[in-house]
Amino acid sequence: MMALLNNSAMEFQALTSADWNGGAPMLCVTAGIILALLAEVLPGFKPARHVAFLASLCAAVLFEMRILGAPQGTIFQGTFSADRASALWGILFCFSGLLAWLYSRRYYKEEKPFLAEHDILMLCSVLGMMLMAGAEDLLTFFVGLELLSVPLYSLACFRRVRMESVEAGLRYFLLGAFAAGLFLFGTALMYVATGTISLAGLRETGLDSSLSLLGVALMASALFFKVSVFPFQFWVPDVYQGSPTPVTVFMATGTKAAAFAFLMKVVFLLPASAAGILSIMAIATMAIGNLGALIQEDLKRMLGYSSVAHAGTLLLVVTSSLIGDPQAGAPLQAALYYMAAYVFTAAGAFGMIAMLEGSGEHFTKLESLRGLGTRRPLLAGALSIFMLSLGGFPATGGFFGKYFVFTSTLRADMTVVSVLGVLLSVVALGYYLRVIMTMWMRPPVEGQAAPSAYRPAANFATGLCVFFVLALGFAPGWFLERFF
Amino acid sequence: MDGRRSELVLTAITFLPLVAAILIAFTPKKAEALQRGLALLMSLIVAGLGIALYIGFDGASAAAQQVVDVAWFNLPGKNGDIPVHFKFGVDGISILLVTLTTVLMPVVVLSTKVHIDKRVKEFMIWLLLMETGILGVFLSLDLILFYFFWELSLIPLYFILGIWGGERRLYAAMKFFLYTVAGSLLMMLGVIWLVWQTGSTDLVALMDMTSGLTASEQTWIFASFALSFAIKVPVLPFHTWLADAHTEAPTSGSVLLAGVLLKMGTYGLIRFGIGLFPAAALAASPVFMALGAIGIVYGAFLAWAQTDIKRLVACSSVSHLGFVVMGMFALTAEGMRGSVLQMINHGLSTGLLFLLIGMIYERRHTRDFEQYGGIASVMPVFALFFVFSMLSSVGLPSLNGFVGEYLILLGTFNASPLWAMVGVTGIIFGAVYLLMCTRRLLFGPVTVAANNKLEDLNGREISLMLPLVVLCLWIGVAPTPFINKTAGSIDAILERVDAVRPTQSAGLLPASTPTQTSSEGAEVR
Repeated sequence: MMALLNNSAMEFQALTSADWNGGAPMLCVTAGIILALLAEVLPGFKPARHVAFLASLCAAVLFEMRILGAPQGTIFQGTFSADRASALWGILFCFSGLLAWLYSRRYYKEEKPFLAEHDILMLCSVLGMMLMAGAEDLLTFFVGLELLSVPLYSLACFRRVRMESVEAGLRYFLLGAFAAGLFLFGTALMYVATGTISLAGLRETGLDSSLSLLGVALMASALFFKVSVFPFQFWVPDVYQGSPTPVTVFMATGTKAAAFAFLMKVVFLLPASAAGILSIMAIATMAIGNLGALIQEDLKRMLGYSSVAHAGTLLLVVTSSLIGDPQAGAPLQAALYYMAAYVFTAAGAFGMIAMLEGSGEHFTKLESLRGLGTRRPLLAGALSIFMLSLGGFPATGGFFGKYFVFTSTLRADMTVVSVLGVLLSVVALGYYLRVIMTMWMRPPVEGQAAPSAYRPAANFATGLCVFFVLALGFAPGWFLERFF
Repeated sequence: MDGRRSELVLTAITFLPLVAAILIAFTPKKAEALQRGLALLMSLIVAGLGIALYIGFDGASAAAQQVVDVAWFNLPGKNGDIPVHFKFGVDGISILLVTLTTVLMPVVVLSTKVHIDKRVKEFMIWLLLMETGILGVFLSLDLILFYFFWELSLIPLYFILGIWGGERRLYAAMKFFLYTVAGSLLMMLGVIWLVWQTGSTDLVALMDMTSGLTASEQTWIFASFALSFAIKVPVLPFHTWLADAHTEAPTSGSVLLAGVLLKMGTYGLIRFGIGLFPAAALAASPVFMALGAIGIVYGAFLAWAQTDIKRLVACSSVSHLGFVVMGMFALTAEGMRGSVLQMINHGLSTGLLFLLIGMIYERRHTRDFEQYGGIASVMPVFALFFVFSMLSSVGLPSLNGFVGEYLILLGTFNASPLWAMVGVTGIIFGAVYLLMCTRRLLFGPVTVAANNKLEDLNGREISLMLPLVVLCLWIGVAPTPFINKTAGSIDAILERVDAVRPTQSAGLLPASTPTQTSSEGAEVR
C-alpha cells in the first residue's frame, strides 16, 4: 500500500534481490512470530516456541551484520532504507528484545500460562522497531510505530492481576493513542502542503508553508512523546514503574532507540530556528529527569526518571545535528554509540530489578538493597557497574557515549548547553552513587532475607550486559571500526 | 632487548597491585592473614621496583623515560582518525611522586593491622586498586588514558571512605566524590575540545600543538583543566570537602589522601596546566599565587581553631598545599622545584602525622584535645615521633619541610614579593598551631585517668614509620639529589613559559637560572 501511495504507477513491481537482502532481518522476525504461534497451537511443540524466538532474533542479527558489510540502500520501492545505520539500530533492537526475554524467564508467576503471548507480542514489537528505524516514508514509519506500540500496550498490563500493571498499560495506551493521532494528523497536513509523504520527496520540496510546519510540529511532538522528552515525559515514571520489569527493560531500551532512530532521520524537516527550542527542551528534560530521580526511594522509579534524563542528553545530539556538526555523520554516530551503551546498561539495570523482584516485591525499594554488597557481591558489583555506566564513568560504555555526544555539541557551538548538560550529569551521579552506597556501605536490614541469586537466564543476560558495557568502555575503537 | 625490559618496569609497577587485587579477590573471605600478607608482599615488590626506577632515572633529561607505548583505539577526528595510545612514561615531574606512592603503600598496608577489623578482603582490594589508579595518573602520557585513570582513581577512595570511615562517612564520601567529579566532568569538555582541535591525544605531541590554538581557546581549556585540579588539590574556595574526607577516613585512607591523592591535583596543574598552556598559565599566575598565599594563611587559621586533632592536620594540608600552588605559579625555577619537592615533603610529614594520630586513636578512640594532655610522660616513643613529624611539618631547618618552603618562598619572592610575604606569615602561623597542638597533646599533667594506662608504640608501629622518618631527614640534610632528579623536566617547562613571557617582565627574573641548569645537565651527561 505504501508503494502505491509513493509511486503514481498503480502496478506492483517484483521484489529485487536488494529487497530480499535488505528485508531479510524483518522476514526472520516475521517467520519467528509465525513459528512461535504454530508451536503454541500444535500439540507437543510447546518448547519449540523458545527455539523459534531465539533463532529468529539470532538470524535477524546475522542478516543485519550482512547489511552492515554490504548496505543495500533504499529498498521496497523507496519506502525502506537498509543502510548501515538502520542495520545497527536493528541489531540493538534484537538485543533489547533478547535481553528483555531473558529477564522475563522465571519472572512471571500467575501469568505463566500466557507466556506465549508475551513472547510473540515482544517479537511483533521488535519487528515494528526495525520498520521504524529504516522507514523512508511517514506511513511506513506509522505502521512500524503501531506494530511496536499495540503489543507494548498489552505487554505493559501483562500482569493483569496487578492494579499497577493494568494502570500502566491503560495510561500508556491512552497517551500513546493520542500521540499516534498527532503523528497521523501531522502527516496528513504535510501531505496536503507538499503532496508527498516520502522523506526523499519532502527533502526535495522543502517545508516552508505554515501548514507543513504545523504538520512537522505535530509529528515531532508524537516522536518526543515516544522518546519521553520534556514536556512529553510525564507518563514515563508511572508506566516504567507499573509495567512488569522485563517489559520496562524492553520499553526503556528498544522503544526509545527506535523513536530516536527516526528522529535522527527526520531532523532535516525541522526549521533551523527550532534549534534553540530543542536545546531548551533537552536541558529541561535532563533537569527534570535528574532532579526527579534524586528524590526517589524506589529504584525502578528512579531509573525511570534517569531514562528521561538520558533522553535529554540524546536530544542534544539531535540539536547538534540540526545546527550542523562540521563533521557530517558524527551526530548519528554519537547517537548510535550512546544508545548502544544505554541499551546494555539500562537493560542490565532494569533487569537486575527483575531479578531482585523474583525474591520479593519489596526489593525494588532502595532501602532493601542495603548490605547487598556483602551478601551478593557479584550481583551488587554488576549493578554498580551499570550505575557507573549510566553516570558516564570511564571504562564503561556510558563514558564514550557521553564523550561522543559532547564532542558533537561542542563542535556545533553549543558551549553553554554543553556545560549545563555536564553539570546536570554531576547531579545524576548523586543518585547513581546513592544506589552504590546503599549496597556497599550500609549494613543489611535486620531479619530481611538476601535475594536469591539462582536465575540462570537472568544471570546470563546480566553477564552479557556487563560484558558489552565494559567492552564498549575499553575498546571503543573495535566497535567504531566494525559497526559505526 | 633493553627497550623491552624498560617497558616492563612501568607496566609492572602499575599493574602488579591490580594483579594482587585480583588474587586477593579469589582468597576465602576468612583468610585475613593471607590477604594482608599478599597485599604487603606485593606492595613491597612494587616499592622495590619504584626505588629501582628512581635510582635508574636520569634527572638531567627532560624527555619521558621508560616509555611504554601501545596503540589502543582510534577516535574519529577532523583530519582522519586520532590514535589513542596506551602510553606510559616517567619524567622529572612524576618520578618523585611515583616513588613516594610505591614507598607509602607498604606503610599503609602495615598500618591497617588494628583499625581495619571488618571486611579486610575488600579493603585490601580497594587499597591495591587505588595504587594502580594513582600510579596510572602519574605515569599516563596520553590525555584520554590520563582521564581514565583520573576518574577511576576516585572509586577506591570513595569505597574506603564510605565503608571504613567514621561517623559521618557517607556524607564525606559523597561530598568528596561529587566535588571531584564536578571538576573532572568540566575537564572532559576541555579534553574533548583540545583533542578535536589538535587531532592528537599524545601529551608530548600536544605540547607543541597547543600554541596553535587561539588565545581564548587556550584560556578556556586551561580554565577547565585548572578548575578540576584546583578542586582536587584543593585550592582555597574548594577546600571544604577535604576536611570532611580526612576527618572521616580511616587512618590508611587519610595517609594516602594526604600523601599522594591530593598531589594528583598539583601534579595536574604543573603538567597539564602550565605544561600544556604556558601562555594561559602565565596570565593566570597572579590569581593562583594569590589563592595559594591566601590558602596558606586561611588554612593555618582554620587549623588553629580546631579541637579535633585529625581535623587540625587536615586543615594544615590546605595551608601546606597553598605553598605548593603558590610556588609553581611563581613560574620560576626555584619556585617550581621547591613546589615539586614540597609535594613529597607534605606527603611524608602529613602522612606521619596521620599515622600517629591513628595510633593514638586506636588506643583511646577519641581525637578531642580535651581528652589528652601529658601523653609524653606515658608514651615517650610516641612523643618523640610526634615531635619529629610536627617539626618536619613546621619546616624546621635540617628537616625536609624547610627545604621545600624555602625554595618556594625564594621563587615566589622573585615573581611577587607581596605574596611571598603573605606566605611567610603562614610559616609563623603554622608553627603556632602545630606547637599548640603538640603542647595540648603531649605535655602538661595527665588530666584524664584513662591516659595513664596507654601502651607505648610497638615494634610494628615504629618500623612502619621508620622509612618515612629516614626520608624526612634525608631530604632535609641532602636535598640536592632529589631536586636534581626533577631539574630537566622543570627546566623544559620553564623554557616554554619563558618563550611566551613578555620581554619586559623577563628582565625582572634572574637570567642565570635557565642557562645555569642546562649547563648542569650537560655536566651530568
